Amino acid sequence: MALVKSPKPTFVQKLKRFFLIDLIKGLGLTLKYNLGALTDKDAVAGHGIYTEQYPKVRPDVAPRFHGAPRLNMDPETHDTLCIACNLCAIACPEDCIDVIPMDVEIMVAGKPRRKKVLDEFIFDTSRCMFCALCQEACPTYCLELTQDFELATYSRAGFVWNREMLEQGRETVKYTS
Amino acid sequence: MWWRLSARSILFWERLIAEMLLLSPINLLNDLLLKFFSQETITFFVWPLIQILLVVTLVALWVAYATYLERKISAFMQARLGPMRVGPWGLLQPIADGLKLLTKEDFIPESADRWIFFFAPYIAVASAFIVFSVIPFGPDWAVIADVNIGLLLVLAVSSVGVLALILAGWSSNSKYALLGGLRSSAQMVSYEVAMGLSLIGALMFARTLSLSGIVAAQGSDSIWYIVYQPAGFLIFLISGIAENNRAPFDLPEAESELVAGFHTEYSGMRWSLFFMAEYAAMVVVAAIATTVYLGGWYFPFVYRLEAGGYHNLFVLVSVLVFLVKASIILYVYFWLRWTLPRFRYDQLMDIGWKWLIPSTLINIVLSGFAIFLVQALDGWRGIKTIQALDRGLNLTATGKVIMIIIGLAGVFVTAALLARINWRSRDFNLRTQRRNIRLVNLPKGKPAVQPGS
Repeated sequence: MALVKSPKPTFVQKLKRFFLIDLIKGLGLTLKYNLGALTDKDAVAGHGIYTEQYPKVRPDVAPRFHGAPRLNMDPETHDTLCIACNLCAIACPEDCIDVIPMDVEIMVAGKPRRKKVLDEFIFDTSRCMFCALCQEACPTYCLELTQDFELATYSRAGFVWNREMLEQGRETVKYTS
Repeated sequence: MWWRLSARSILFWERLIAEMLLLSPINLLNDLLLKFFSQETITFFVWPLIQILLVVTLVALWVAYATYLERKISAFMQARLGPMRVGPWGLLQPIADGLKLLTKEDFIPESADRWIFFFAPYIAVASAFIVFSVIPFGPDWAVIADVNIGLLLVLAVSSVGVLALILAGWSSNSKYALLGGLRSSAQMVSYEVAMGLSLIGALMFARTLSLSGIVAAQGSDSIWYIVYQPAGFLIFLISGIAENNRAPFDLPEAESELVAGFHTEYSGMRWSLFFMAEYAAMVVVAAIATTVYLGGWYFPFVYRLEAGGYHNLFVLVSVLVFLVKASIILYVYFWLRWTLPRFRYDQLMDIGWKWLIPSTLINIVLSGFAIFLVQALDGWRGIKTIQALDRGLNLTATGKVIMIIIGLAGVFVTAALLARINWRSRDFNLRTQRRNIRLVNLPKGKPAVQPGS
């Protein structure tokens, strides 16, 4: 018993099927993409190639992308800009920052004073969620999340960055085409 | 300026090209060989060996780069780049693949039939490569053997390839391989009929089975048989794709159902032999289609080189023309593969037995009728249709027009006739059954199946 009659094909549909219009349309689409790939290599017209040659050609990340952390230094004196205020560690929702200060004796107007300066900075990128709240909290624009995205390492310990790594950046192999 | 060559220097360069590069090496080689062998040995043994070596190298290279092109073209159709890392534009990728496959472990399943498992790939490759011995790549020395039953030999040898797939599938002692082998045997046997019958229409015009003869017939008629036989060409192409187990007819190696079909258990070099056989068979079908329907190595204006005395240049350009034509058909192969989805098994058998074989029969009848008509019209009320009959059927302009009209009309007549005949056969195609139980547009609040009905 026929429960539901599906509509019978109209004359136009029959003609379409007879002349294999849909097949020809499909072939035309693939041909269009093929010719597009040959003529337009930068995917400008929408039918070019979208593949990125990744290690050779590095992708453009979005401007708001947050990647590897970095501790900025004074460009002239190469002293760290960090004043060991611990605001970033307080701001961090993941509690992945450890600021370890040390006390130094300095002379201010001929009187000895004690001052906190940065000794060690531990940043655990395996726990970081790259929210950049630490960057917002930093009063001296020292801590910054850069656009560098190659963070993979061979061990868990490699994810924990110390002060030297944060200041110098990690060594990665740079490929050129 | 550098392009303002004097007439004398042009003559000089022409002679240099003609004599140094294209004429003398062969004559020089012949003279050199005469010092070691007699003239008979050279003509019947040494030159054929050189030809075979050249053709095998050429075809192997062609097959290797067909895989490269397939990957590239499929990538372009999907807005990707394809192989890019090995060499410029990934051009060395086939060599890297070959090296990888050579160094891989050649694994044989424990319960497999060892010897048959060993030999099946060789049968596949041999049956694909033997065909190239009769294919005319060009005139004169560019064909190894001009056998007068060339086309018959091609069909016979290429159907031995089925045996390899069956043996491979059966000897693997694996259910997927066996299913793949069964499918491929059923598919190839049923499409072989359509393939052989579709060529008969073209043979009626060529009046010979020799492949060089077919090319010569098209040359002397100055037409490609695709114009006379569009239906035959289409059927040959479709059945050729099915014969090679290519998508959309790749049921024997349907990876979503059968892992890899008949070569599931193969690995390393043996697997790559199957792969090579598949592509070589593709090249064979492309070459046959070129020879029979696209005029082989004939191309307008190329013969002027022969008339100008550059015989070897003429042969080389003809070979190039042949390769380009066959490559265009190969491109159609890739194009269809990356456009169409796979057929269901009953659809595959439907197309083979209910559409292609009857349409080849109709095509034979129509071609016979057309040739009869042309012969009957010849000399009737001063109409002249036939020019000559000694090198194939050579028609005058009037005869050509009649033949082309009948050929084009034949495609639509065949399609309409078969659509009319086959319209009830859709019942077997589950279409009506599915239409009956499809639960769409049900009125709200009513169950799909009435209780108690």
